[in-house]
Amino acid sequence: MLNKLLISARALALGVVLSTASLPAAADSVSDAKLEELQKKLDQSMKMIEALGARVKELEAHTSTGTVAAAAAPAAAPAAAVDPQRLEAVEQKVAQIETANATRQSDDSGLPIHGFADVNTGNYNLYFPYFKGTNVGSLDLYLTPKIGDSVVTLAELIFETGPDGQVGTDLERFQIGYQFNDQATVWVGRFHTPYGYVNTALHHGVWLADALRRPKFVNFEDKGGVMPAHTTGVWVTGAMREDNGKFLYDFYTGNGQHIQGGIVDMQNGGNLHGAAMFGSRLSYQFIGGAADGLLVGVNGFTDKVDDDNPINPALMRLNMAGAYAVYDTDTWEHIIEAYAFRDKDLNGAPGTHRSEAWFAQFAYRARWGVPYIRYERAMLDQTDPYFNEQTFGASYYRSALGVRFDINAKSSIKFEVAHTRNTDRPSTDYRPSDAEIGLPQQFNEILAQYAVRF
Amino acid sequence: MRIQILALLFGTFLVAWTSTAGAGDLVVICNPSVSLKADEVRDVYFGDKGFAGTVKLLPADNSAAQDAFLEKVMKLDAKKYAGVWIKKAFRDGSAPPPVKSSDAEAIAYVKQTPGACSYVTSAPGDGVVVVAKF
Repeated sequence: MLNKLLISARALALGVVLSTASLPAAADSVSDAKLEELQKKLDQSMKMIEALGARVKELEAHTSTGTVAAAAAPAAAPAAAVDPQRLEAVEQKVAQIETANATRQSDDSGLPIHGFADVNTGNYNLYFPYFKGTNVGSLDLYLTPKIGDSVVTLAELIFETGPDGQVGTDLERFQIGYQFNDQATVWVGRFHTPYGYVNTALHHGVWLADALRRPKFVNFEDKGGVMPAHTTGVWVTGAMREDNGKFLYDFYTGNGQHIQGGIVDMQNGGNLHGAAMFGSRLSYQFIGGAADGLLVGVNGFTDKVDDDNPINPALMRLNMAGAYAVYDTDTWEHIIEAYAFRDKDLNGAPGTHRSEAWFAQFAYRARWGVPYIRYERAMLDQTDPYFNEQTFGASYYRSALGVRFDINAKSSIKFEVAHTRNTDRPSTDYRPSDAEIGLPQQFNEILAQYAVRF
Repeated sequence: MRIQILALLFGTFLVAWTSTAGAGDLVVICNPSVSLKADEVRDVYFGDKGFAGTVKLLPADNSAAQDAFLEKVMKLDAKKYAGVWIKKAFRDGSAPPPVKSSDAEAIAYVKQTPGACSYVTSAPGDGVVVVAKF
């Protein structure tokens, strides 16, 4: 009987082998993934057959030694011992556990903390070129506590090196919102000002970006940026889907900015003059078809800005209009942003100050890494108090060439070589010149960055 | 001899059956409170669609069927899918879908949670609506 069983098992194996042997002929039209799936199932079948064969041999061995009866008795005993009621109770218990797991809410399992971190080295500090050598970059922690289905919250706390070379703490974002539907979410708090693409998509979290650093003039206010990268106020945002893509909008208002110590400040506690800034961004994202991955948009804001000069405080009307385009696919990441400024001195000086700034970045996402090239140019009117008052308000151009290598899914190393030239300071600067604090008029950088997420 | 022939036929049938069973049995299911079209499933799992009418959508991944789902529906691999949600979470505070560990757990979640959706590779039974089969 056992021999027959063994022969049957071998026949079963033969059937499996024969039928799988015929698969390649039919596999011409199936994908590699499908073949892999079949291979897995075949492996499982073969393992099962091997186990059956081993069991048969074991039983045969018992038969030959006359111990079949003795062996069969204990083997049968457990089968007979299975109590249907107990089995049903176990099944119910398993179902209860699965149901409990299925309905368990994430807000009773603690609040996960995610973040990014980076360290940098090079012949200059990547943000403050009057420093040279290695710097600790930033440790960026963000929390998204779940308050309810429609209540959304976002807090981002960052530790980073500031212009003075000291590590400081900044509540980068703190916003509480309500999501009415896909077309409207209202946020209140401190948020990334919605202009262009980089400021909201590639803000902190260096690991997210293919490039080693942001373009200088759209960087954070205390790291070379000249625009109000953060706003404390109210922001309404949403998207409307249609067949070929979606239309996105942002409208926001917030505290008018203040230039404090040469840095644009978003006035977290409110401003002194009570004036507000207003802005909007309108975009269209193509989904599917030949233009899949293309995002285009326009944006602008108007802002009443003052400064901290105690004798002759400046008061300016900052007006910005801009446009941007992004092509983001598995293979390419191209970003172009352009801004025009038409500012007015509200202290009585007539006329409008005109300034422009733009950058273009092109990146290729190869299997081995992401090489990129970027050119950025800022032509900022130094008679405009808004730019003149800023430590980083000089006109400049920068050419950069870089590459990103992913070590694994959570870490990357980036390298960049860049040439930067300031084109109007210190000759037009009435403050202590940039050269006096060690900022070179032009310089070549070789930078390296190690960035992780967790 | 007859037994051997039957076993041979059974073995052939077994492999033929298992080789085709995975081709079309991925089922996207939702709670009966949800009205969703098949071509909207991708938007839901990319976080671009958060509501079905007035109902807040609460999609969940199912680790037992996730590979097939990502391949057939989302058209990307697990690394890219995770990357999409890392960026989205950081940019707008969205949380990625929670992950259920089995078909039974996914079905139980969808049945008991208004707005819930998930996907399974086994028959979902009553108490859910089938949005799409892939």
